[in-house]
Amino acid sequence: MDIIKYILKRILQTIPLLFIVSIVSFALIRLSPVDPLAELRLNPSISQETLERERARLGLDKNIAVQYGLWAKSFIKGDLGITSNGESVAQKLKERIPNTLLLTSIVIFLTWLVGVPLGILAAVKWKSPLDRILTVLTSIGMAIPSFFFAVLLLIFAVKTGWFPIGGLTSSNFLEMTLGQKILDISKHLILPVTVLFTVSLAGLQRQMRANLLDVMDSDYVKFARAKGISEFKVIFKHALRNAVNPMITLLGFEFAGLLSGAALTEYVFQYPGLGRLILEAVMKSDINLVMASLMMGAIMLILGNLIADLLLIFTDPRIRTGGIK
Amino acid sequence: MKNLGYVVLVIILVLLLGKACIRRDIPETTAQTGTEQEEQLTLNIYPANRKNVTIDGVDYLQTDLHVGKFGGTLINSTIGEGPKTFNPFNSKDATSSTFADIMYDGLVTIDAVSGQYIPKLAKSFEVKGNDYIVHLRHGLKWSDGKPITADDVYFTWKNIILDGYGNTSTRDSISVDGKLPTVTKIDDYTVKFTTPKPFAPFLASLSTAIAPKHIFEPAVKKGKEFFDTFLSTNINPKDLVTSGPFKMVEYVPAQRAVYKRNPDYYVINSKGEKLPYLDKIIYLIVGDANNEVLKFEGGELDVIGVKGSDVPRFKERQTRGEFALVNLGPDTGTMYLSMNLNDRENEEGKPYVNPIKGKWFRDVNFRKAVDLVIDRENMVYNIANGFAKPLFTPESLNSIFLNGELKGYPRDVEKAKELLRTSGFTWDKKGRLRDKEGNRVEFDLLTNAGNAEREAIGVMVKQDLEDLGMKVNFKPIEFNSLVNKLLSTYDWDMVVMGLTGSPLEPNGGKNVWLSNGALHMYNMRKPAEAGVNLLPWEKELDYLFEKGATALTFKERKKFYDRYQEIIYNEKPMIYLYSPIRITAIRNKFKNVYPTSLGGVIHNIEEIYVDSEDENGHN
Repeated sequence: MDIIKYILKRILQTIPLLFIVSIVSFALIRLSPVDPLAELRLNPSISQETLERERARLGLDKNIAVQYGLWAKSFIKGDLGITSNGESVAQKLKERIPNTLLLTSIVIFLTWLVGVPLGILAAVKWKSPLDRILTVLTSIGMAIPSFFFAVLLLIFAVKTGWFPIGGLTSSNFLEMTLGQKILDISKHLILPVTVLFTVSLAGLQRQMRANLLDVMDSDYVKFARAKGISEFKVIFKHALRNAVNPMITLLGFEFAGLLSGAALTEYVFQYPGLGRLILEAVMKSDINLVMASLMMGAIMLILGNLIADLLLIFTDPRIRTGGIK
Repeated sequence: MKNLGYVVLVIILVLLLGKACIRRDIPETTAQTGTEQEEQLTLNIYPANRKNVTIDGVDYLQTDLHVGKFGGTLINSTIGEGPKTFNPFNSKDATSSTFADIMYDGLVTIDAVSGQYIPKLAKSFEVKGNDYIVHLRHGLKWSDGKPITADDVYFTWKNIILDGYGNTSTRDSISVDGKLPTVTKIDDYTVKFTTPKPFAPFLASLSTAIAPKHIFEPAVKKGKEFFDTFLSTNINPKDLVTSGPFKMVEYVPAQRAVYKRNPDYYVINSKGEKLPYLDKIIYLIVGDANNEVLKFEGGELDVIGVKGSDVPRFKERQTRGEFALVNLGPDTGTMYLSMNLNDRENEEGKPYVNPIKGKWFRDVNFRKAVDLVIDRENMVYNIANGFAKPLFTPESLNSIFLNGELKGYPRDVEKAKELLRTSGFTWDKKGRLRDKEGNRVEFDLLTNAGNAEREAIGVMVKQDLEDLGMKVNFKPIEFNSLVNKLLSTYDWDMVVMGLTGSPLEPNGGKNVWLSNGALHMYNMRKPAEAGVNLLPWEKELDYLFEKGATALTFKERKKFYDRYQEIIYNEKPMIYLYSPIRITAIRNKFKNVYPTSLGGVIHNIEEIYVDSEDENGHN
């Protein structure tokens, strides 16, 4: 019961937060000097009348507060509005979200699958050659800018011809059998996944290693060792349980990055995800689309934190007993 | 020891950078490769004769071009995030228009060689004074099997275009003094258009797509707001009812659109087989130009537009025989330099342009001196890698209305100085230019930041003008602020900009040249100021554009448009710099490819076929 109350409280807390985020984003977009009609105005064949009509259609003739009010009203009703070209925003996002989710969830799954064990290994074998090698490797991973790495891999794909050059599916995708389709998508995914994996693995591995090292140094671990419990039990039963808490908070942030974390890599690989869509929307000041994506980002971040906090309740008895009340 | 290493590294880097700079500053070498390459890229002349033939009551268009093989796919691309709509009457961006052009035919089209209008969905058309009578082909079908008749044409024009549905640019371009043409249906296959007075540009508007009435009528009935969202990209492309050579079968957002051949298209080859030859056309939706080049190199693309700076790289790969580079000649885009001739005041009584500077800009000798001192050749070689042509006229070099009498001339600093002297300009001891009153000649030069080409032009213009002792403050500013200055606040001195025009219809530029035009940037007038302080040649331009639009024969029209180009050539309100040359690469396995400057590489898409022996391992 307490947990439900806690969740409700947290959700209520997000409302003013979303309100502030939306006002700030809306003002930023609208007050920036980007004129959504600039290109149209420079087109010799467009008449003044058409420009006025377009201005009215996009609501640009109204006061910015009124514009915000109109947007907020339809947002609360669950209507994300239409893009400046008359397409449904919700539909546009729906087209792209699965693609981005596919990419980011594979990356998160892989990084956690590899990063956490490597972190534990490095902490356990602290200062051994293995630890040092891992440190060097992760340093490299952290140092490579993802954009540059992506470009390099793309050139690699062109030179060798082993991988397709960007995109998600081949042009003859429609005629493939199911097996070929899966193979085709996997082939397209390898390079972007490699980039994102290399970059985020480093951070995760180091975090895990540092956490575990912290804990290994604490008194109760020393005590457990002194009791003569096997090293395996010390690490997995005592140390790891305490070292895992910061990781859960981290997982919350990763959740927030599910939809927005891969934008740069998506752009280089011409991956049909949200990144490209939103970049174009920002350039053209397509207000409804930009607002929808910003709100989505904010909600994902809040949701991610909420999930992390709930998970912590289950893993950390201190929060379970003390925190909620 | 460690520090020494760094020092050496930095020195090497600086030297390398320096070397790169040196190379760029030598125009001669680049010049040679430029012209050399240009000569090798020549066009074959499109040899086809096309004639109307009637078989079993269907009016076909028969081409005598080499009979090809059926099947195969052509993969093309568009840069950006793909089409915004599949409704041909709503498209406001180039990609949507490209996609619509493939799917919907218009009544007439442009002859890719001569630039004249020729029948397309129409079997023929007659122009009698203000009347345009269009005879449709018999027996044509929409992709759902319904016949294409005069009802569709009448509906498209009456209920969509003339009633102002969707993008109204067609409607805007055919209104004469605020009056619109009328359309009447004569019989099932004949439609008559009547313009309020003789208006030659009307013919061009007949190339607008024709819509299937049975699909569009319900949407039109639901009003303009619904029409703006009708046939958005969310729909299943299989539901589209189209008339073009290819029909869309698959659309994957941000990835591609796949078109399948229309088995009932009206073009046949000399054996009587229905074209197009190609089975499929695929348009890849590519986010940026660099990725497009990679995709072409990786074999994922068959056709690509090549930037001047990429040509050497493509030339190198061309030797392997996979593709051919085609020189399509000068582009329709023009780069120009313009000065603000505005001598009026804003609402607060402040002059838009500093009166001291305004006096210089309104002096034709000053403008001519600026024009003479600009080194166009240098720009062509250094900015466009030799793949451009110096430009001296407002009409682009491939325009059918280009005034051939207006010749180019080289840079002449002495003559420019002479002109300035006649207008009372002097140079002080330090070589700085001063006007009659002794004011130092100094002004701002603007362009939109982020456009590398225009920024490079700005730097060169600044350097060239410094040879005359002028001080130029070159300031690239954000695009929107620039547009705002040019079109709303008028507070600018000199600007580097580009505009695209139509090589076929100078009347499209009327907004730039008419004294009250919405893009009359060099001397903008608020609507209330219409006709105020007209310069004599502005008045003549107004007259010429009115006459040019209402004269009917090409010869007559050309007289007026020749004169307009002459005025701009002499008065220099806008100083034209150069036109880029368009280079395209297409894979050799495609045959019947006859690129033209006006039509591009695949203007005869239905005649193009794949010769499988030339596949070169490409799938």
